[in-house]
Amino acid sequence: MLKNSVVQNALHMPRLNRRGLPGITGYGSFMEGVLKKSEGIECRGLNSVWALLLGPLLGMLYVVFLPLVFLLFVLMVLPGMVMAKSETVELQGDSQICMGCHVSHGMTKKFKNNEEISISVDAKQLVASVHSFLGCTDCHQGISMGDHPSGREFKSREDFVASTAKACRSCHSDETLMKKRMHYQAITQAKAPPCVECHGSHDVKRVAQWKPSLDGNQYCLTCHKKNLLSSANGGKESRTVNEAQLKHSVHNNHKCLDCHSSFSKEKHPIGHFANRRSQSIAFSDACKRCHADKFKMVEGSIHFSMLKSGNLNAPVCTDCHGFHNVSPKATYETLSGVPCKNCHKEVFSAYMESVHGKAKFSGHNNAPICSSCHRAHDIKVTALTGKIKSACLGCHKNAEDLHRKWLPNTALHLDNISCAVCHSPDAGRGIYLRLVNKDTGEPFTEEQIKKLLGKNYNDFNGKMSPHGGIDDTALYNIVGRLNKKGADARVTFLGRMEVGKGIDAHQLTFKQKAIRECDRCHSANSDFFKNVTVAIIKADGKSVRFSAKQEVLGSLFAILPVNQFYVLGSTRLKLLDFVGVLMVMGGAAVPLVHLTIRKLTAPIRKRRKEGHK
Amino acid sequence: MKRIDLHPLPVRVWHWINATSFIVLIVTGVQIRYRELVNIMEFRNAVDIHNDFGFILIGNFFIWLLFYLFSGKIKLYIPELNPKKLIAGSINQAKFYGYGIFMGDPNPHHPMPDDKFNPMQKTAYLAIMVLLIPAQIITGLLLWDVKLFQKWTTLAGGLKIVDSVHVFLFLFFTSFMFVHIYLATLGHTPFAHIKAMFTGYEELEEERHH
Repeated sequence: MLKNSVVQNALHMPRLNRRGLPGITGYGSFMEGVLKKSEGIECRGLNSVWALLLGPLLGMLYVVFLPLVFLLFVLMVLPGMVMAKSETVELQGDSQICMGCHVSHGMTKKFKNNEEISISVDAKQLVASVHSFLGCTDCHQGISMGDHPSGREFKSREDFVASTAKACRSCHSDETLMKKRMHYQAITQAKAPPCVECHGSHDVKRVAQWKPSLDGNQYCLTCHKKNLLSSANGGKESRTVNEAQLKHSVHNNHKCLDCHSSFSKEKHPIGHFANRRSQSIAFSDACKRCHADKFKMVEGSIHFSMLKSGNLNAPVCTDCHGFHNVSPKATYETLSGVPCKNCHKEVFSAYMESVHGKAKFSGHNNAPICSSCHRAHDIKVTALTGKIKSACLGCHKNAEDLHRKWLPNTALHLDNISCAVCHSPDAGRGIYLRLVNKDTGEPFTEEQIKKLLGKNYNDFNGKMSPHGGIDDTALYNIVGRLNKKGADARVTFLGRMEVGKGIDAHQLTFKQKAIRECDRCHSANSDFFKNVTVAIIKADGKSVRFSAKQEVLGSLFAILPVNQFYVLGSTRLKLLDFVGVLMVMGGAAVPLVHLTIRKLTAPIRKRRKEGHK
Repeated sequence: MKRIDLHPLPVRVWHWINATSFIVLIVTGVQIRYRELVNIMEFRNAVDIHNDFGFILIGNFFIWLLFYLFSGKIKLYIPELNPKKLIAGSINQAKFYGYGIFMGDPNPHHPMPDDKFNPMQKTAYLAIMVLLIPAQIITGLLLWDVKLFQKWTTLAGGLKIVDSVHVFLFLFFTSFMFVHIYLATLGHTPFAHIKAMFTGYEELEEERHH
């Protein structure tokens, strides 16, 4: 009964609704009223039947249809109303006018260099940007309906962007910008990227809003792929990373932070290095983390010694391998990619003209290049050592046998004459007298001399550089003085014939042109003995060289200090030649004098003989 | 004319091989050492010939040594062991070469198969055969293959000293050749001694008193 009453009352709701919807608090009295009225319906006859049919229909209208229509209205119309309201309300000043055209898609502008850009503006981006409160001409200054840049020409997009971006500075003062390091160069450098490169133009946002969401290298490259100059060292050093190079390098799978380990999204230390050079040097440590074996070799190299001795221009990893463009090993063994030529230009030119360079150039890939002889990482001083000979014999394995066919004392020649002396026929040559330990044959180093002589070293060193070069007695005194210091200092000078300069050593020619004539060396007229150099090897393999007089090679005084260097015909003792002349003349004089006296005394003998008879 | 068998065949063979070797070694030696002054042959050929004849000389030395040791004739080279007599004999011989020979005095020494050399010859030849030739052979070997004998060279005081000794002896022998050949002409005829070295027989001049 109660249920039926409720349904029936519900059907009468339209009538009640004409009086306005009851409040929720009045719901109890409303229900009581319905119950009372329902009693009266039964008494009204035909009207009551119509009411009975129409009621539910109207009920349906109110309960289902109208709310549905309302809902659709809200969903469809309201957003439009909001948008209409925004466009009209948020676009500032003259923007309405500009957007009248620039909202259209496909509008483009061509610059003088034929670069084309879209000049359509997405109003939604504009209103969502932090500059939604600005009008178009606030930034595009100098543009008005009367002076529209349809007739204006910019050289290029870059020119246009740079020009427009100047407007940023009318609000963002230089003083404010200078406080932020990244903005410093935007103010101070002419070639700095314009504001829009990082911040965007119509969709301008704070970098902090979007950049942290970037992953890995893209986070760093956001800035570093742009034309970026370091604020350090007068802002002259580029900090731009060529993204394409990075992708093509052998390190393309590495993250920036693998090498730049002191950086992160949170840390960007500035002024860490005094300059690019000190950064490059320090970065060797980054390479070392993965390439420890190679680095160990480098530590024994002449380049590393130079660096340790304070020569900051000595090459480090990145000087040869590059940094963001590290290439496969084979690249460094090509004529175009070999890094040695960057510093050793003249030597490389000589190499290019050599039998090896020509072979490499003509496509013989196995022809030697720098590292084939000098090695790549443990590059040692090669002058005055047998190291290069080993390198030559490494490829020319039968060289010793071939020489033995025509060269007497082959091993002696190959030990004491560098290959280039004969195989670079046009090279300048000289004799190098190296101070060595007499017992071991190892170089007696400058450091050992310093240790032995202590404060007297300077005096010693002074004697090594007399005017006109070291003479025989000086050489004798040097060895004598050191030998007095005890068994550890038994020294002597070993001689060796070498080419004069590194360039000479690289002018190796075809073997048909090599020197084979013994007379070129074995004659007192030979030019090869005119330059005599005394070399004291240093601990790092380099040498201190002092010029010596040619006479030391053929002097009696030098017999003891240079007792193992002798070249037939060329370094003969002058004294012995003098004695020889006397001896031979004496030998020849005996018969001549004796014969003469015999001739003169012949009459005496004749008389005696006759007397006897 | 009296003939004595002074030079047995092995001695003659040894002598002429020695003589040839000496001349070749001296000529090639000069060519090697004084390349800029002498140009008889290529340096390389000079070295090769010098080496070859060096070894011939070494072999020849042993012919001499073995012959004289095994034949017992080595005593020909042993000088008077009494110093007084040695000096007196030497002075006597020197007086002859320096004075007597001009005056027409007879040579105080008459070469005989068992007493071939005069006191001066004995000391000189003994020194040459036992000291100088071996020294020349040894230094020559050390220089022939420097690397092979490096230790010995170092022991001897270095390459320069070894070479200097070799060259000094070469100069001595060159000088000796002049004197030796001249003395060889002082027989009773200029070619008497030289002929004897081919034939083995020395013709003795008939003594004035005979």
